[in-house]
Amino acid sequence: MTAVDRPIQRWSNWHWGVIAPPVLLVALVAGAALGETRIPIDVVLQVLANKLFASGYPVERIDEGIVWNYRLARAVVAACCGAGLALSGVVLQALLRNALADPYLLGISAGASTGAVAVTVAGLGGGAISLSVGSFGGALLAFGLVAMLAHAAGGGVGLRAAGVIVLAGIAGSQLFNALTAFLIAKSANAEQARGIMFWLLGNLSGVRWEDVVSVVPAAVFGLVVCLFNTRALDAFTFGSDSAASLGIAVRRVKLGLIGIAALVTAVMVSIVGSIGFVGLVIPHAMRIVVGTRHGRLVPASALAGAVFLIAADVISRVIIPGQVLPIGVVTALIGAPVFAFILIGGRTSS
Amino acid sequence: MFSSKFSLKFATSVAIGCIIAAQAQAEETNYPLTVENCGHTLTFDAAPESTITVGQSTTEILYLLGLSDKVKGTSVWFNPVLPEFEAVNAKIERLDDNAPSFESVVNKKPDLVTVMYEWHVGAEGIISTRESFHDVGVPTYVMPTDCAAKDNSVGIDGTRSELFSTAQLYTSIEQLAEIYNAKDAGAKLVADLKAREAAAIAKAEGLKLDENTSGLFWFSSADMDIDPYVAGQKGVPAYMMDKLGVKNVVDSGEEWPTVGWETIAKADPTFIVIAEMDRRRFPADDVEKKREFLMNDPVAKEMTAVKEGRIITIDAHAMSPTVRAIFALEKVSDELAGFGLNQ
Repeated sequence: MTAVDRPIQRWSNWHWGVIAPPVLLVALVAGAALGETRIPIDVVLQVLANKLFASGYPVERIDEGIVWNYRLARAVVAACCGAGLALSGVVLQALLRNALADPYLLGISAGASTGAVAVTVAGLGGGAISLSVGSFGGALLAFGLVAMLAHAAGGGVGLRAAGVIVLAGIAGSQLFNALTAFLIAKSANAEQARGIMFWLLGNLSGVRWEDVVSVVPAAVFGLVVCLFNTRALDAFTFGSDSAASLGIAVRRVKLGLIGIAALVTAVMVSIVGSIGFVGLVIPHAMRIVVGTRHGRLVPASALAGAVFLIAADVISRVIIPGQVLPIGVVTALIGAPVFAFILIGGRTSS
Repeated sequence: MFSSKFSLKFATSVAIGCIIAAQAQAEETNYPLTVENCGHTLTFDAAPESTITVGQSTTEILYLLGLSDKVKGTSVWFNPVLPEFEAVNAKIERLDDNAPSFESVVNKKPDLVTVMYEWHVGAEGIISTRESFHDVGVPTYVMPTDCAAKDNSVGIDGTRSELFSTAQLYTSIEQLAEIYNAKDAGAKLVADLKAREAAAIAKAEGLKLDENTSGLFWFSSADMDIDPYVAGQKGVPAYMMDKLGVKNVVDSGEEWPTVGWETIAKADPTFIVIAEMDRRRFPADDVEKKREFLMNDPVAKEMTAVKEGRIITIDAHAMSPTVRAIFALEKVSDELAGFGLNQ
């Protein structure tokens, strides 16, 4: 991991500002161009030109709707979720000094499942609450409970505190998973249970521009907060004690960052379900590629997470004609071998 | 041409029905009776006196056979009971709206459990396997509509190897009638239904729809904008489309695949059939919400079927292997006739 001879690790922070936008743009256009059905690239570009610059090319309205309302909205949401989840993973892995930490460690995905099931299966809210609101509420409730448990269990600073948070997260997740199972067993028929499970595994098919309004601010907010705290994240990587010795308000920064990671994750999960793998593996992969310094790791992870999830979404739509795979399946199926490759490559060259 | 063909078929069917009914009048079931049923061999020493039904279709078939007094409990309801059986049904215990537990069924000590879907009682049944019922001495009968030429281990709702045929439904009625020593009632019911089906098919064929006509059957969606559950190539809606001479825009062989609106919109169906149900768990269960989506979604609203107002509502349970499928074929034919699509 100390292989400083690789050019990408010598990039300073501002390089990312130059590189990220065009890469992201290409990924977004690819997301808009590729899908279940074949729409010629010139039509795709005409639609984008029409919408962005009012160019007035004559295009079929169905094509226009598909490219703009379905695919592009989807790609934007995928990018935001990928970035948000990857950043949450970076933050939690650094703060908890645990290589296995991922955004769902704090009970968020379990809580989101419970909330979603409470709304759709148990009928909470009598139709007035949407699935997204239900799962967001559940995620926050679960995180709140985990945070309270971790606080009550005490722990002060250092590795013990990190351990307590991880254990509290496990307890909270188990509790909420059990609640979900209870609600399904009590009130769902099998068809509903399957429908909701499909959603919980991660699904971008229902994403529209309305959802962009909540995920873009969450992702941008998460990124900005991380960029402002790269020094603190670096310090925490060496432990809370060394962070404190560097003059960082350990408790305040730690709680703030964990809370923000939880909030960002909760927003993402409530829109697209629990897409696994991204938050756990992208930070590790990027550590191998760009090194452990958060000044580079944060932008690299955000960009890689965004591009990776756009790609995974496209693949989930095109790999089996006429059928859309759950994106969580794709992220793991594609992600695991890619990660294995990076892992082996990182070891041999360092 | 249309009317003569129609009346001829109808008359023939009715005549055959009458003959069968007349012949069957005296026909008694010979016990012990052996029935081959979905890979199991069932032997009955006498007609079952008490039955628990798992699945609305089997419940209604027993009612239609005049066997409601043999039904001690029902479960797995999709929509309200057929109106003519409201009074009868009100007196019979409903074990559960959805799947009852294994013990709640066994505790009633039924002579027979009749089952509509193997995902309730079958190899991976959520209630239990057939073997575990048989182990405690409770026989189970699964409707052939869910096992004949159907592999329930493939796809979420199973996958048919052949197009659904009402013959499977008729087999089921006849077998149940024989098991309950009600062969005459069975023969009469089958004859009536066949006549009604023949009339509906004649009507459908009489429409002479353009060969490029295509349809979509939308059951529901797990969330409003999400990929919907739509009818695949071989289920009951596919049977209807086959009889109507209409192409299904969905390619999948699964019973109820989820297909993206992008794919559906590009295929641009000529008409869309949406399912009406009492269930209100997914927002899209509501037929009005389905219409609202079709009218307002930026892509869906551009489909020809939506722009031309060619949206047909049918009973959700009619999209499953039930006698209602035959009634719905009639309704779809009638409504299509009103769209002026004939050549």
